[in-house]
Amino acid sequence: MDFTKEQIERYSRQIVLKEIGGVGQEKLLKSTITIIGCGGLGSPAAYYLTAAGIGKIRIVDFDVVELSNLHRQILHFNNDLNKNKTQSAYEKLHKLNPDVKIDIINEILLPSNIIEILKESNFVIDGSDNIPTKMLINDACVHLNIPFTIAGVVRFNGQIITVNPQEKTACYRCVFGDISENEPSMSCSQAGVIGLIPGIIGSIQANEAIKSILKIGDLITNRMLFLDLLKYRFSFIKVSRNENCLACGDEAINLIESHEYNIGDACFE
Amino acid sequence: MLVLNEEKELEINQIHKLDIRGKICPMTFVYTKLELEKMKKDQLLEVVLDFPAALKNVPKSCKSQNLGELIEIKEVKDKKKEWILKIRKL
Repeated sequence: MDFTKEQIERYSRQIVLKEIGGVGQEKLLKSTITIIGCGGLGSPAAYYLTAAGIGKIRIVDFDVVELSNLHRQILHFNNDLNKNKTQSAYEKLHKLNPDVKIDIINEILLPSNIIEILKESNFVIDGSDNIPTKMLINDACVHLNIPFTIAGVVRFNGQIITVNPQEKTACYRCVFGDISENEPSMSCSQAGVIGLIPGIIGSIQANEAIKSILKIGDLITNRMLFLDLLKYRFSFIKVSRNENCLACGDEAINLIESHEYNIGDACFE
Repeated sequence: MLVLNEEKELEINQIHKLDIRGKICPMTFVYTKLELEKMKKDQLLEVVLDFPAALKNVPKSCKSQNLGELIEIKEVKDKKKEWILKIRKL
């Protein structure tokens, strides 16, 4: 691939890296990443991946920008209130790097559309705010054999896991399959969240995407990373694949077609 | 077999050239690296440049990333402050 002069200049600090170079930059420019949700986690992930020169970034969200979003959802500005988040995201990301194709999907993610939305992706980032959606993303990515990362943030805490179905690493359902998907999660508005914790975790998600595409370094697979920014505790906890897991186990079933996900019911604002 | 060997020799003997006069570090290394990545082992690259710090920086970075090895530095005839770096692809 012949880079333009502008691309060489724009990506020069990545090309310099031993782990990336022109070869890696070309891989990034030819890849597709889907980001579910352009809120607290999706914002930094989308910014950094756009800046890094991913070929195509697909952003899925159905919400509009609210004033209470702005302390953490850094894609959106004061004059974006009431605008669709996907539109607001598109405007910023296109301005940051017109080299990247930003593909926006203004729909709620459901079992009926998820396969179509995710199927072309080389990596998927979960930036959703509820457990049923995280389970849905997990099950669809495992089914489609696409590496992905799922994260959650609340108060001063964050957690993240990456799953590589191609290597059969532990999936989100292996770890959290036993918790009730229908109970309200505490990650919603009542618990509160410091604005920068999704900033850090979302940035790590972007790092996972880049590393997965380039096949460099170690991913957060078969373990979870927990961050506590009050006490400054950063810890890894080992997790392992559950061979009875309905999504990735030895007798896995097609959950997308058979499972009840209760999207939209679980998060009581 | 003989033909194949000749072809291989021709390939190795082909000298790649890169003119990056006017570029400063780290762009000197960026352009050199992009060229080396396209080359085959043992091929030679001649880089013409005019940024003095690059004479040290570029070979050092090429070596540390196992991309290329400096063969020699020549001054361009009749030109002050222009040099040719000769690098062998590793």
